[in-house]
Amino acid sequence: MKPSMGAASVSEAAGERGRDILAPDRRSGYAMMLPAVIVILGVTIFPILYSMWMSLNDVRITLNGFQLSFIGLANYSTLVHSGMFWHSVWFTTYYAVVTVVVELVLGMLIALAIHRVQRLKNLSLVVMLIPWSLITVVSAQMWAYIYNGTYGVLNGILQGLGIIQAPVTWLGSESGAIICTMVADIWKTTPFVVIILLGGLQMISQEYFEAAVMDGANRWQVFWKVTFPLMRSSIALAALFRILQAFGVFDLPFVLTGGGPGTATTSLAILGERSLFQNLHFGVGAAIAVSTVLVVLILSLIFLSAFRGMAEEGA
Amino acid sequence: MVESRWQKVLGYVVLVLFLVVILLPFYWMVITSFKPTAEVAAYPPTAWPQRFTWEHYVNAFTVHHFGIYIRNSIVVTCLTTVIVVILSSMAGFALARLPVRGKTPTLVFLLIISMFPAIAIVTPLYMFMRGLGWLNTYQALIIPYTAFNLPFAIWIMRNYFLQVPAALLEAAKMDGASIWQTFWRIYVPLTTPGLFTAAVFTFVASWTEFFMALVFNSSDTMRTIPVGIALFSSEFNVPYGDIFAGSIVSILPIVVLVILFRRWIVSGLTAGAVKG
Amino acid sequence: MRNKVWAIASSVMAAGLLVAGCGGGAATNNTAAGNQTAGQGGTVDLSKASGTVVWAASPITTGTDLRTALIQAFEKSHPNIHVQLQEQSTNTDTNRGSLTTAIGSGSSTPDVYMGDVVWPAQFANSQLALPLDEYLPKDFWDRFSSGLVDGATYQGHIYGAPFFADTAFLFYRKDLLQKAGLPVPTSWEQVEQEAKTLQQKGLVKYGFIWQGASYEGLTCNFMEYLADAGGQVMDSSGNVTINSPQTQKALSFMQDLVQSGVTPKAVVTDQEPQAMSLFDQGQVAFLRNWTYAWNDSQNPQNSKVVGKVGVIPLPTFGGPNGYSCVGGWDLMVNPHTKNLAAALAFVDWMTGPEAQSILAKQFGELPTNKQVAQDPSLKQVSPVFAVLDKVKFVPRPAQTPNYPQVSQAIYSNVNQMLSGSLSVSDTLQKMEQQIKSAVSGGGL
Repeated sequence: MKPSMGAASVSEAAGERGRDILAPDRRSGYAMMLPAVIVILGVTIFPILYSMWMSLNDVRITLNGFQLSFIGLANYSTLVHSGMFWHSVWFTTYYAVVTVVVELVLGMLIALAIHRVQRLKNLSLVVMLIPWSLITVVSAQMWAYIYNGTYGVLNGILQGLGIIQAPVTWLGSESGAIICTMVADIWKTTPFVVIILLGGLQMISQEYFEAAVMDGANRWQVFWKVTFPLMRSSIALAALFRILQAFGVFDLPFVLTGGGPGTATTSLAILGERSLFQNLHFGVGAAIAVSTVLVVLILSLIFLSAFRGMAEEGA
Repeated sequence: MVESRWQKVLGYVVLVLFLVVILLPFYWMVITSFKPTAEVAAYPPTAWPQRFTWEHYVNAFTVHHFGIYIRNSIVVTCLTTVIVVILSSMAGFALARLPVRGKTPTLVFLLIISMFPAIAIVTPLYMFMRGLGWLNTYQALIIPYTAFNLPFAIWIMRNYFLQVPAALLEAAKMDGASIWQTFWRIYVPLTTPGLFTAAVFTFVASWTEFFMALVFNSSDTMRTIPVGIALFSSEFNVPYGDIFAGSIVSILPIVVLVILFRRWIVSGLTAGAVKG
Repeated sequence: MRNKVWAIASSVMAAGLLVAGCGGGAATNNTAAGNQTAGQGGTVDLSKASGTVVWAASPITTGTDLRTALIQAFEKSHPNIHVQLQEQSTNTDTNRGSLTTAIGSGSSTPDVYMGDVVWPAQFANSQLALPLDEYLPKDFWDRFSSGLVDGATYQGHIYGAPFFADTAFLFYRKDLLQKAGLPVPTSWEQVEQEAKTLQQKGLVKYGFIWQGASYEGLTCNFMEYLADAGGQVMDSSGNVTINSPQTQKALSFMQDLVQSGVTPKAVVTDQEPQAMSLFDQGQVAFLRNWTYAWNDSQNPQNSKVVGKVGVIPLPTFGGPNGYSCVGGWDLMVNPHTKNLAAALAFVDWMTGPEAQSILAKQFGELPTNKQVAQDPSLKQVSPVFAVLDKVKFVPRPAQTPNYPQVSQAIYSNVNQMLSGSLSVSDTLQKMEQQIKSAVSGGGL
């Protein structure tokens, strides 16, 4: 993970060379990290550990609060033996990979475009922020309203243009529901990627480009030999956190399809919500949460190692 | 770089095309918020309101207590953002440029924390908040929002600090500057786009967070915008007009924020200030 | 890179071990959190009740707020008690999620909350609701219309006081039937036939709309057809009996409605609001919907069919007056409440004649109080009350604490069938298997 993220190794290597000289710097470093670490640990450690512990227990609500009795991996065994769970793992992974890849490509295009133009920069940024700062549930409701199979505007436009004869129930078939949910997600979160990549672009000194052009590189070569390698850490950052978010996808399928038709768009988060807040099966719900973390972790690691290879080839 | 005219035009065309695609659904939302209720579900849909009305905006503020929700959201979000930006830039700097030990485990640990699904954490966190007597207070949201946004902000800031050459640190040290001085006077000003990015992400995430706000602050005077808007619906009625009107109002502060701080983003790093 | 992966993997495992080490502490910590505040049984003297009651309730009506009206009237008659309204989400899951989090962690507020009629078994099983029969006199329960209290009973105890009822009706466009010279339908088959005729004559775009999205409402719709066909999900001793020719008949009819084009395909994403606006826009001839649909369709602000609507009880197969699903809300009491007397006084008044009259006469909700429900003047309030006598009620199989899972097994499979990717017999099989696993407490 570390090497792909950039040059942390430089200072660490320096650390090994001159321990004594660096001691004051190291102390300042810890001091600078301390407040953040205290807040994060203070808030998250208890809930996360508690939730992990719950996943190994049979959890019941009683008049004395939550009562846990240890049952080992039984909750996980329930998951492993449930077709529903594997379906959700598959759907969520598929969903995350497709949306993140599309968002990265689109995001890169838009970021490059905004970076290059002289005008429209402010306007572009404002426009970018609109979908992303919309409350997720509201944006889901907006898309439900647009996709609606009887009075939705998507049908209105397509019928007006003569492309379709009668209104289509976009969310009524499995593939339709999956694609529509993805489109809504890409609309909402591509700006997230754009902002991160734009930040990365702005940190690249103009001189690199000038040097490359002077060497006779064409635009394509400049992108692959200069821009892309220098943007590596920004791209990795955007991808990594988008993968995390995509794995938590909840509001969109919840509002658009309720996880349907059937169970086609039942994501891990929807499954977890059902266990926790509908069925009140807290142990199983916690096990779903922990399994989600494991799946994301594995996927992130695969991504990072693949990406590292790719970026090195490009450089 | 030398650019031919048609390349320039092409750039603008691509950009404008994207902007239009992004704006279309939003246009639909804005238009709907000005339509009378009966027209909202009309088919074929009307591209422009047949009768233009402010009723949904009036409803948001009179029938529902949108004013209170906005105040609460602003207090919670602004404080969260300020705290996150300060703490994350410090920690990000240490992780990027100072010889602290255990960088990789720390970063991975941060990643794992941000992975944990919020929905699984809400119940234990509620017990925690109740134990502290913090339910129905601003800190019940500010503290968890800070904690859950910090990991990402730290990753962002570390990423930006890494792109400012380490040589600057050495140079500053030669000049007799302390680490803290170097951090505030040299590194922070060079990473304003990073500060902005971290700030915007934190702002948007806190501004739109729903579940903790719903569960921790159940008193109507402490509700935030996302929860408030969710309460617009009645049992069998989703008032699209009111919901869209409220959401459009809720975007305005973010637009204002971007316009206020646009200098930070657009100019960002002046070319040549940082040489690798 | 391989080394890195190992480093990370082992740090994760270390974190796991850490949890195992600390978990015990967290668990013990928690058991001390709850406290029993409610008394040890026997009835509570309500006459001296005072203080504050926090009432968690989601919005019931559009426009003027029923909840506020009731609270004001209550405070007038009980000057010593102040009621504070805690807004809950109208989304059932969100609502249930926030209530379970608060009460499950031992919070003493809300003191009283509105609970869906399908919640009592589940909430009783998780001790989230107080067994009210231990604190209220026996004759308290006589005030309710018959059958309602049974729905709030779990293992011999009553966990909710029925607050208002709800059920479904068939709303139809009397102007269209008149134009086409058709009678008001008296069976499901006739509804389908007439809807088809109206569509063929070009009088209306869609024939019959109901709620087919993947959510609780679809279970309600399904229960009605199932009861009409003579089938049931479980028998009285809790055995799953859904795999029957009756269920087959119910499912086939629902599937046929969509396949014949009488019901638009979009029904698979329709909940109440979407179905309602289609009807209000004058695009559909028949609508299955709850009590509120009458007022909604007669409100000129959102409806184009004011004065063109008639209402009858849902029909059955081969005849009139079929089954309607029982909906509505109970008032439940938080077992950790610190003001039990005031909470019970509030429940008592809210289910009494004054509150129930306000609810029925001013807001058109179905009262649970027998005396108010039998008041003949109600029939003038809305035609819905006039046909209520003929409605037969079917409850959902909510006598098991695992009802939410049972319902998921029903609605997700029926929804998939309606979307066209599951046959009737496969739907039946999957439903049976998932319901069985749900009732036994297994599965997801």
